Order: sequence, then structure tokens, then C-alpha cells
Amino acid sequence: MTQIVTKMVKNWLKWTMLVGILLSLTACNLQLSGLLDPKGVIAFEERKLFFDTLALMMIVVLPVIIMSFAFIYHYQVSHRTRDYKPNWSHSHFLESLWWGIPCIIIVVLAVITWKKTILLDPYRQIPGQTAAPMVIQAIALPWKWVFIYPEENIATVNYVEVPVGREVEYQITADNVAMSAFFIPQLGSQIYAMAGMRTRLHLIASVPGDFLGLNTQFNGDGFSDMTFMVHAVEPDQMQAWVTQVKQSAQPLTPEAYGQLLNPSIADQPKFYNGVAPDLFQQVLTLYMNTSGTVHPRDNQLKFHNSLN
Amino acid sequence: MLENLLFGKLTLDAIPFHTPIIMGAAVFMGLVIAISLGLITYYRKWHYLWTEWLTTVDHKKIGVMYLLLSGVMLLRGFSDAILMRSQQALAAGTHTGYLPPEHYNQIFTAHGVIMIFFVAMPMMFALLNMAIPLQIGARDVAYPYLNSLSFWLTFVGAMLCNVSLVIGDFAAVGWLAYPPLSELYYSPSVGVDYYIWSLQIAGVGTLLGGINFIATIMKMRCPGMTLMRMPVFVWSTLCAMILVALSFPILTVALGLLELDRFFGMHFFTEFAGGNVMLYVNLIWAWGHPEVYILILPAFGVFSEVVATFSQKKLFGYTTMVYALAIITFLSFIVWLHHFFTMGAGADVNAFFGITTMIIAIPTGVKVFNWLFTMYKGRIILSTPMLWVTAFFTTFVIGGMTGVMMAVPPVDFQVHNSLFLVAHFHNVIIGGVLFGYFAGVIFWFPKAFGFKLDEKWGRRAFIWWVVGFYLAFMPLYVLGLSGVMRRTQHYDNLSYQPYFIVAALGAVCILFGIMSQIIQVYVSFRDRKALRDITGDPWNAGTLEWSMASPAPLYNFAVLPTVTGLDQFWIDKENQLTTGRVNPQNIDYQPIHMPRNTGAGFIIAIFAGVMGFGLVWHMLIPGLIGFVGMILTGIIKTFNTDTDYYIDAETVKRTELAHFMEVAACTTK
Amino acid sequence: MHNEVTVMDEHHHDNDATDVFGFWLYIMTDCILFGSLFATFLVLNYQGMLPSTLKSHINLRVVLLETFLLLASNFTYCLAMLDLYKQKIFRTQVWLGMTFLLGGSFVFIEVREFIQLAAEGFRWDLNGSASSFFTLVGTHGLHVSCGLLWILVMILQLPKLKGSHIANRRMTYLGLFWNFLDIVWIFVFTIVYLLGAM
Repeated sequence: MTQIVTKMVKNWLKWTMLVGILLSLTACNLQLSGLLDPKGVIAFEERKLFFDTLALMMIVVLPVIIMSFAFIYHYQVSHRTRDYKPNWSHSHFLESLWWGIPCIIIVVLAVITWKKTILLDPYRQIPGQTAAPMVIQAIALPWKWVFIYPEENIATVNYVEVPVGREVEYQITADNVAMSAFFIPQLGSQIYAMAGMRTRLHLIASVPGDFLGLNTQFNGDGFSDMTFMVHAVEPDQMQAWVTQVKQSAQPLTPEAYGQLLNPSIADQPKFYNGVAPDLFQQVLTLYMNTSGTVHPRDNQLKFHNSLN
Repeated sequence: MLENLLFGKLTLDAIPFHTPIIMGAAVFMGLVIAISLGLITYYRKWHYLWTEWLTTVDHKKIGVMYLLLSGVMLLRGFSDAILMRSQQALAAGTHTGYLPPEHYNQIFTAHGVIMIFFVAMPMMFALLNMAIPLQIGARDVAYPYLNSLSFWLTFVGAMLCNVSLVIGDFAAVGWLAYPPLSELYYSPSVGVDYYIWSLQIAGVGTLLGGINFIATIMKMRCPGMTLMRMPVFVWSTLCAMILVALSFPILTVALGLLELDRFFGMHFFTEFAGGNVMLYVNLIWAWGHPEVYILILPAFGVFSEVVATFSQKKLFGYTTMVYALAIITFLSFIVWLHHFFTMGAGADVNAFFGITTMIIAIPTGVKVFNWLFTMYKGRIILSTPMLWVTAFFTTFVIGGMTGVMMAVPPVDFQVHNSLFLVAHFHNVIIGGVLFGYFAGVIFWFPKAFGFKLDEKWGRRAFIWWVVGFYLAFMPLYVLGLSGVMRRTQHYDNLSYQPYFIVAALGAVCILFGIMSQIIQVYVSFRDRKALRDITGDPWNAGTLEWSMASPAPLYNFAVLPTVTGLDQFWIDKENQLTTGRVNPQNIDYQPIHMPRNTGAGFIIAIFAGVMGFGLVWHMLIPGLIGFVGMILTGIIKTFNTDTDYYIDAETVKRTELAHFMEVAACTTK
Repeated sequence: MHNEVTVMDEHHHDNDATDVFGFWLYIMTDCILFGSLFATFLVLNYQGMLPSTLKSHINLRVVLLETFLLLASNFTYCLAMLDLYKQKIFRTQVWLGMTFLLGGSFVFIEVREFIQLAAEGFRWDLNGSASSFFTLVGTHGLHVSCGLLWILVMILQLPKLKGSHIANRRMTYLGLFWNFLDIVWIFVFTIVYLLGAM
């Protein structure tokens, strides 16, 4: 029996070492992103919370793992331990210990959870931000994102530019695409995008840089390519970019928007100067005020026919 | 007109002749079916098949059939997994892999559906059928005919899901078919209908099974077996089956309403005309969260039995074990919202559901500690069932830990829908559920078949599985944290690729594990004489099922046992009762009342399949035939009152004597 | 022989308790099914997004008639049970026939109401509110129809099962089922019709 176990352990070691080597080789060139490389206040907080939780859980998890290996090794039948107690099956002290300790840990965790959930609520303004947030309206379309800057009266496709250090409030909905989710991993939380509903998300970029944004909720064939780039730049650069768009781009007319409603995959960024001020609201109410069997966008296109 | 009523939307175009992978699989499946039918005919086994298997109401045989179904479907679900892993290993940067999205999307949907509904659930019911009536000292389940119906409905559901591979397509919407993606507007093909009807049919089978086992456990226990003397596996089953009875009707409603949307143009979950998408998400998770506990609780029961047996000790903390189970059962109904914190509910709601979720960790942790201290001061025998338990501890605890982390809403906002989540639930479902079921199958295999499974190949399978598991899923944690989403068909960032390659290697290791298991079964069958379990108690265990011959006789217990405490057989052995076995010659046996076989369950299920297929393709006439056929068969069955018979005392005595002589011959040798 | 019969009866007595327990479990699962449908109905009717169009279509008089028919059918079913206990098979059949007629009228009126609603433009595919109305009320109606079929089968079977414990057992199931449908209807009446008309 011991031989088998030693053989097993050897096998184990061999394999885990191999895996360890493989992973450490690859880890060198993994471009860290997401939670592991936060660039905004929300994401920083979330990473901290992640590791705090991990540490708290380790209080229980580590002993369990160590005990499991220790007991299994020590009490093997071949070791002929002297303290075999076949009918020892109850201990008030021990059992209250492992009801009690996890309870305490969970109470601590619950308090943290309650506080942080309210603090990091995506609908709330980010604490410490006094200025009114800049608003960006995001509409999920069949496999691309449209972003409307109502104050600047410009719009983009698959491209976001935000000023560093300023809070941005994203108002999110979907049009002619199944439920999606808006997520910029390095800046923080994600939230669903649903037709006929408006969800909200407050994010802030703390350092300049280019960050990947994506859809996290599977919504059909173009799902994997429903990504966009977020450029966090200094406020004056941002202003320059707005001016540039205003000078060079065409307006987002109803016809142009109608074109965007067509399913398409991996669209290049597009820019528009001038948007109907209530476009976002129109899209919302379109889904809320209908009845009957016909999908609101069905008169424009058959979702799947247009794919072929 | 008639053609439309007969064939609905079905045309020859529905068969994907141009897709080589599917056609290859189809041809292979066709060949397997043709060969098995040919062999049955050649060996003239049709009669045997009908009388011994298709019409059987014996829980032991139904258990074996569940096991077989689960094993076959595991192969299918796993080939989906291999396809997904290889696709993701290849599709980096400018490469888009070899599976186009419309195919890849079906594969991950089918993988999830098959693994949960047609691998895990049947394997659970296999264990229940193999062990529960024997553990509570009963001669059968409460409703043997219903038991056969449950199995055949599950079987037909699985077959309907398989048919979709060849005729038409399967859903490409993810395993829970969230609307509006699963609505007609976004998914006009029959895939989602296949999904709905195969789950609906199998779901009814599961619900009936749940009712059956609750009644069995509550009403069929042998004299003296009070609730607090039931083995923990029975307790865990009772809790899981209560969850089945409470949650499966919700699944029926959710899927039914979705089908009404698709079939009649209703507006339950449409995004317009007053439908409510999140209503579906709430309903499906109100079923879905209890569902994961339905899977894990029986596995907890198996661990309790296996740990105690292979530590040659009594289970530590029986009472707290039972309370922990009950608490988990209750809590599993008030946590469902943690599956969609990102819906945009208020912070209070999210925090509430996050905290209730964490609380589940407490009773679960208690169970883990109790198992650990069952091993403490024991004599641990590392046979294959116990090996799976050793791997379970570390794996499950890691999975539980990541689960608690994701229960913190702000953390979930980062990892929701990512590969971190995928790694988490595979961590608990493979490390907890599957390892537990494997342990259970090896543990009870001798009781069902009369011989043990081969240890050498069992060990090989174990090592491949465990190594493969860690290789396949640990990289996914890292990927998930760096923002890679589940269901991704390809990705641009080349630095992800090595992780996906390691994960694919892990899947290959698991493939070797599955192959080892197949060889294990073959080798064990070949050496069945050497591996024969003569005493009926191969592991020196403590519960009632080991007090009889292996395989268990048709009537289970010649004389119903009387129980005086927990682990009656352990008590008996301590009191030296079994060494001085009573010679059956000296026992006065009574005739034993048994249910007759019936084909009704099988026939009703076949009609259900016809109905399901008809409704998928909007073929009204076949659909109607199936529906009416089901009801008529059910009614005709009620006119037959000759549903039971007696095994006479002489036969019982002969059977018991044969076992007694065999054991005696073995011990004198 | 006599001895064996008593043994069998004892065994079956035990069996009956188990079987009725199982039927209660089934009723419980059906409760959850209806519970989910009620929840769906409430969510889709009172979410404040669409004005509920149900109100103008409700004819409370007809619904009251339906309620009385169903309650009366329950009463006649109880009479059938009493006669069954007295082993008066023919009278049991007659009361069952009455129950069938009352239940049948209920289903007839309901179907007519549905057709009329659809003709008035309140169709199931109009909006979520209408869908949930037709589905909830229709699911109850479908249950009642199943019950009617069961009553018919029971009427046919009674002479054959005469005097056996199976007859009592099956009538108990059917009675539970029929009562359960009454209770569900009370909820339908209150939540869908009374609150809907308010």
C-alpha cells in the first residue's frame, strides 16, 4: 500500500512540477489585464476586495487541505497507528469549533460585503467625486456598441474616449440584439444591457491608457467580436478629440442608425457629429410601448435573414 | 395541407449533409445502433431485453440502466468538451479556429445541457436506485412502475437531444437558454425547441423520480429505522429529492412559458409588448440554484458512506451532518439572485443575496470537517472509492472558496460570466459531484453486479482525471481574472493562448482517464470470477445493503431487518451476529409480495418522445398521436389490476441457501 | 387461502397510506407550478409599464357562475365518495356523472369566454398581460379537463373495481385532485378576476 501511495505522490509531483514550469514560462508573457491590472478606482477597490476575501477564506481552506493530506497519510492502515478508535464519532468541543469559526469568518465577510456592495454600487456616484459625472449613453447593437456623448453631441461606434480622473456615468441599453453586458475589465464593474431597459454604471479612469471593453453576455454569432477600445486621455486631449470629430464626421441620421441595426461582426470604429438628442430615449420607449406579435425592429429587417 | 400536418417544418434540408463532423458522428451513431440491434437479433435476445430490462420495475436494474445512459451521454458531453478546448487552443489572434460560431455555440450549449441533465442527473438516480431501498431495508421503491416511467422519460429526453445532432440543429443559446436570445426572433430554428422538449420530458421524469424517492424514504423504512437512524446517504437523498419536488415544477413553468412564446407568439419573455426578460432569468435560477444542490447533496452522502467505510470508523458527527444538510436544503432556495448580480438590482438586494450565499459555506464547511475527523484515528484503506475522496477534499474546497469570493457582489461584477466562473463551477461539479459519484459507483458496483471493479485501472483513471482536471481548469482561473469571457469562440490577445493550450492538454488527460475507466469496466468484466464478491460485504461496511448477497436477490431482503441503531450491520458485526450466520434451513420464510413487470412506462415514454419530436417540428399529427398515445396507455394501464405476484417461500429459501453455502465454502477454504 | 387474503389486505393497507402520501406530494408540486404561474401573472400585470387591458374584458357574472359550478361539482363529488363508502356503486356513478356535467359546463363556459375575449381583440399574443392571463386560467382549465377525463374513466372502472381497496384509493386521489383544483380556482377568482376588475 505504501508503495502505491509513494508512487502516486511521485506521479503527482512529476505532473505538478511540469504544470508549474509550463505555467511560469507562460506567465512571463501574459499581458496582465482585467482585475489583475486595474486602472480605475472601482477596479482597484474590487481587486482589493478580491484578495481580502481570498485571505479570509484561506483561514479555513488551508487547514482543511493540510489536514486532509496529513490525516490520509498518517492514518493509513499500513501504518498501524496505535490510536485506532473505530467508534469515536462525536465531540461537542470539536463540532462547536467548526460551527463557530466559519460563522465568525462569515460574519466578518458579511459586514465587508454589505459595506462594499453599497459603496461600489454601479448606480451610485463614486464616493469623493464632487463634480457632476460626464454622461455616455451606450447602446448594444447586433455585435457592436454605439456610444452617444449627449453633451458634446457626437457619437461613436466601438470606440470610447474618456478624460482621466473624471467620473463617467454610462447609461446602457440594447437595440435589436439579445441581452448583452457592458464591461471594461480594467476600469471596473459590468452590467447587463437589455432592450427596453436602462441600466447605469459609474466608472472612472485613474491613469491614461488604452483599455479593452467587451460584451460579457453571450448574445449570438458575433459575440466574440463585440469588443471596443477605451482611450483614457488627459482632459485637454479629450477636448481636442471632440473638436476633431465635430469637424470631420457625418451626423448619425436615422438612416445611418438604421444601417447600424443590421447584424455585423467586428466593425471598425466609426465617428458621427450630431445625434438626435433623444435617440437613446427613443430606443428605450420603442420596446416599452408596443404590443402584438411583431418585433419592433422586424419591419426594418429580419434578424437572421440579414445574416446570409 | 396534409403534408404540413404530417411533416410540419421538417424537410430533407434539416439534415446537415455538408458538415463532415456532424455527419461523421451521425454515421458512427448509426453504426453503433445498427450493430447493437444486429447483435440482439443474432443472439435472439429481444425477448430477454423486453422481459428483463425494458419492462422491468426492479430498482436495481433501473439503476443499472441509468448508469449506462449516464455513461453513454458522458462520452457525448465530453466530446463536446474536447471540441471546445481544442477550438479555444487554436483560435488566437487572427486564427478563428476550425469551428464556426454557429457550430461552436451549439457545442457549448449541448455540453452544458448534456452534462447536467443527461450525465449527472442519471448518475445520481443510478446511485439512488442502486443503494437507497437496500439502505433503508425495503424491498423496492414506493412506486416501482413510476420508477420505470421516470427512467424511460429521462432516456427519451436524452435521445431527443441526440436526434437534434442529425435532424435539424440544437440550441445555440447557452445551457439555460436566456431570452430574448432563445426567442423566435433571435433563434428561429428548431434548436431551442429541441432544448425545451428534451428537458421538459426528462424533467417530468426527474420530478416523478423525486416524488418516488421521498415517498420511499418516508414510508418504506424497515422496522426500527427512525429518521435519525438513517444512513447519511439516505438523508442527503431525502434532502435532494425534496429540492427536486420543490424546484422542478418551476423549471417546467419556465420552459413551458418559453415554448408558449415561441409556439403561440405569447409575450412572457419577449423584450417588447410587456414581456419581461428578467422574469425568465429569475424563474430559471429559482430552479437552477437548487438544482446544483440536488446534484451535490447525494455526492455528500456518498462521501459520508465512503469515508466512514474506508476509515473503518463510524461517521463523525452524524447529528450535525444531518442538520447541516437540512440547513443547506433550506438556504439553497434563497440565494438564486447571486447568478445575476449584474442585472442592476439595488445594492441592498445584491448584498442580501450575497450574504445568504456565504452562509451556505458554514454548513458545508462543517461537513468537510466532519469527514476529516472521520478519518482521524481511523484505519484508512486507499481503495479506489477512497482515492476519489482524497482528491475531493482539496478540489472541492478550492471550488467552495472561489464560490464564496464570487458571492461578494463587487467581486462578481468583475468575474461574472468570465472563465473564472467556468473554472469555479467545474471545480465544484467535477471535484464535488463527479468525483463523489465515481466513488459511489465503484463503492456500490459489487452490490449491483456481484463483482468488484479492477483496482489497477481504477487508479490509473483516477490519476488521469485528477491531473487532467487541474491542468484544464486552473489556467481558466487566471484567464478569467484577466477578463476572458466564457463562450468565447476566438480571442485577439496571443498571450492567452498558452493557458488555453494547457487547458486543452488537461482535457486530453481527462480523455485518458475516461478511456481508463472504459478499460476498467472491460477488465473487471473479463476477470469477474477473480473479482467476485462472495460475502456480499467487500469493504467491511456498516449499512444494511452489505448484509445480503451480491448481487442483491430480486426481493432484496428475505426477512425484513429490524434496526436498533445507526449503522445496524456494523452493530451486528460488533456483536458477532454475522459470523454465526443462521442457516437458512432453520428460518421460516414467508412468501414475498412483488410488483409485476410492465411495459407501460416504456411505451408512454416512447409516445412522449414522438410528441416531443412532433412539436419541435410543428408536425401536428405526430404530435397529437404521441399525446393521445401517452394518455391512452396510461388509462389502459389503470384497467389492469393484476399488478403484483408472490415469490413463494420455497424459492426464497433456495436462493438464500445458495448464498449461504457459497459463503460457507469460501470461509472453509 | 383465507389466511393469505388477510395477509394481502394488511399489506395493501400499508401500501395505500404510502400511495396517498405520494399523491399529496404530487399535489404539492402542482401547487408550486401554479404558484410560479401566479407569480408570473402578477409580475406581468402590475409592473406599471403597460396599462392592463384585462379590466375592460372581465364579466364578473360569468365568472361567478363558473365558481358556483365548480364548487357544486365538488359537493357532488363528496356525495359520490359517501356512496362509495356505502358500497353503492350505481349511485356513486350517478354522482360522478353529475360532477362531470358540472365540471364540463365550467370548461365549456371558460372556452366560450376565451373565444369571446379573442374576438374582442384581447388575444394571448397581444401583450405579456394577456399571455399570462390565458396561460394561468388555461392551465387551470386544462387541469379540470384532465380531471373530467379521469372522472369518465372512473365511472367506467367502478363496476370492475367494485369492493376492492383500489376503488377507494383511486377515488381518494381523484377527490384530492378535484378539491385542489377548487382551491386553485378560488385564487384565480380572487387574484385574476376580482383584483383584475378593480
